[in-house]
Amino acid sequence: PAASAQQPKTFDFKAYMAEKASAVNAALDAAVPMTYPEKLHEAMRYSLLAGGKRVRPMLCLAAASLVGCDDDEIPIASACATEMIHTMSLIHDDLPCMDDDDLRRGVPTNHRVYGEDVAILAGDALLALAFHHVADATPANRVPASRTLRAVVELSRCVGTEGLVAGQVVDLEMTGNEKVGIEKLEYIHLHKTAALLEAAVVMGAIVGGGTDAQVEKLRKYARCVGLLFQVVDDILDVTKSSEELGKTAGKDLATDKTTYPKLLGLDKSKEFAEELNADAKLQLADFDPDKAAPLIFLSNYIAYRQN
Amino acid sequence: TSTSTPSFDLRVYWAELITQIDAQLSKSTPIQYPESINESMRYSLLCPGAKRAPPVMCIATACDLLGATQEAAYPTACALEMVHAASLVHDDLPCMDAAPLRRGRPTNHSVFGTEIALLAGDALFPHAFRHIASKTPYDLVSEETILRVITEIARAVGSKGMATGQLLDLGHNTGVTDVMEVLERKFGEMAECSAVCGGLLGGAEGEVLECLRRYGRVVGVLYQVVDDILMEEGDNGEKMRSNASVVGAYGMERALEIMEELRVKAKTEINVLSHRFGAQRVLALDSFVDFAVGRDD
Repeated sequence: PAASAQQPKTFDFKAYMAEKASAVNAALDAAVPMTYPEKLHEAMRYSLLAGGKRVRPMLCLAAASLVGCDDDEIPIASACATEMIHTMSLIHDDLPCMDDDDLRRGVPTNHRVYGEDVAILAGDALLALAFHHVADATPANRVPASRTLRAVVELSRCVGTEGLVAGQVVDLEMTGNEKVGIEKLEYIHLHKTAALLEAAVVMGAIVGGGTDAQVEKLRKYARCVGLLFQVVDDILDVTKSSEELGKTAGKDLATDKTTYPKLLGLDKSKEFAEELNADAKLQLADFDPDKAAPLIFLSNYIAYRQN
Repeated sequence: TSTSTPSFDLRVYWAELITQIDAQLSKSTPIQYPESINESMRYSLLCPGAKRAPPVMCIATACDLLGATQEAAYPTACALEMVHAASLVHDDLPCMDAAPLRRGRPTNHSVFGTEIALLAGDALFPHAFRHIASKTPYDLVSEETILRVITEIARAVGSKGMATGQLLDLGHNTGVTDVMEVLERKFGEMAECSAVCGGLLGGAEGEVLECLRRYGRVVGVLYQVVDDILMEEGDNGEKMRSNASVVGAYGMERALEIMEELRVKAKTEINVLSHRFGAQRVLALDSFVDFAVGRDD
């Protein structure tokens, strides 16, 4: 109620998404040129430019603009870095020794095309490039080194053993385990999914010049949205087909994975998603509603997406 | 064989540094939830008998050559070992070099499984960057310099450096690949990066930095060429680090010539540095070269 009242009616979210996605795609394309050795760069580009929704980069750009940064050139390196890390984690997650997936974003997975060894190296190279990009491509004449360095720290914290990797490890340990409770499930998703969304939002707010208070508000927003993302993912896995999703549907059930629908039931899961969406938008209450529009719409988009 | 100069004993210098580096590395990676990943990272990071060549070269450059304090150099020195360990863990994986042993004990994936080993490598890279950014004293090293150090390491381990070295070493050469190029990418990069990071921390710029870059690269390759030669002479069965072998590609006679060429190149850079900073300050870096050629381990 309070949150939905905030929603500005004049904002064209579709046009915003299209514009930002094309800017991000162009920046990613430029960040990984087809140079020697072509096989490695081709493998990196294959997954990086496979047409994801660019949710993380968009969150990063939107957070920067919310704290008053009106030029995407400032947060674009951070935005690209989050997509590089996201892509890297997908490549490694899909490997035979991990989830063993053949299909991703509607096309064969990286290792199916380039082989496992190249897929691992392409992931490693994207991981390194993400840090290189933030440290080297954030405009030094417009962002103080102290802020860029803080962005690097956020990125490293969110993807390491206190973030993304921690989520993946606990997820691995829990697969096939009947006794996973809601707390453990939340731990997995806060780390496996929310941490990188948090990095995206917080890095945008930091390089965009936000105050500490603004950064922390946005951190809370990102954590809600991150959990929301996963709850919706779990719901979609049981309600949609592989064709609609562009990846293997029903996989969670097939692998006996603990999910929100399994723990809470489908209806309660949907209610939980609504709560998280409202909670996320509540964090934006102190900001100018017009400027907050992209983040409000992004939260709604994640809540109501169909794939 | 004697590897020491009258005024400098690399073995003593090295042994003292290793003790400190090992202590710092252990502190940098505590065992916390989820334990399995931290144990796996520690297993490779704290491998007994590791030479710690990247951190030692970083400290020799930053502190001995350029006079930086050890507190300024240690976080980066440790981070270099972290990314080094990360690459080794991934290189050893079943779908890469499929190595069962590393330095005489089971490889990471043999102990912790492939999934955890893969993730341990994935975690060690960001762990390194975080370590530099959060542990380097900002009053001793400027934030601009720290960003340059991070940029340098990220370049060295990425698609323009070691990732390409491993790709070429696995035989994925798209064109004609020279064995020397494999060695430069797979081994030269890490040493180059270590010397350059030390240089940055010590405030080096311009020609000095370029000199350190060339020196590091040559020394990294030199160690590997000597390894190839030693492996051919004795049968050091447990060392399976590179599929590319200079001896295999060019024969022993040419390999020995290449070793000598590399030694001379390294000494040339040492002379440049010696003119600029004085003979005393280059002793540590100089002894790296003599040690490479004179060692028999």
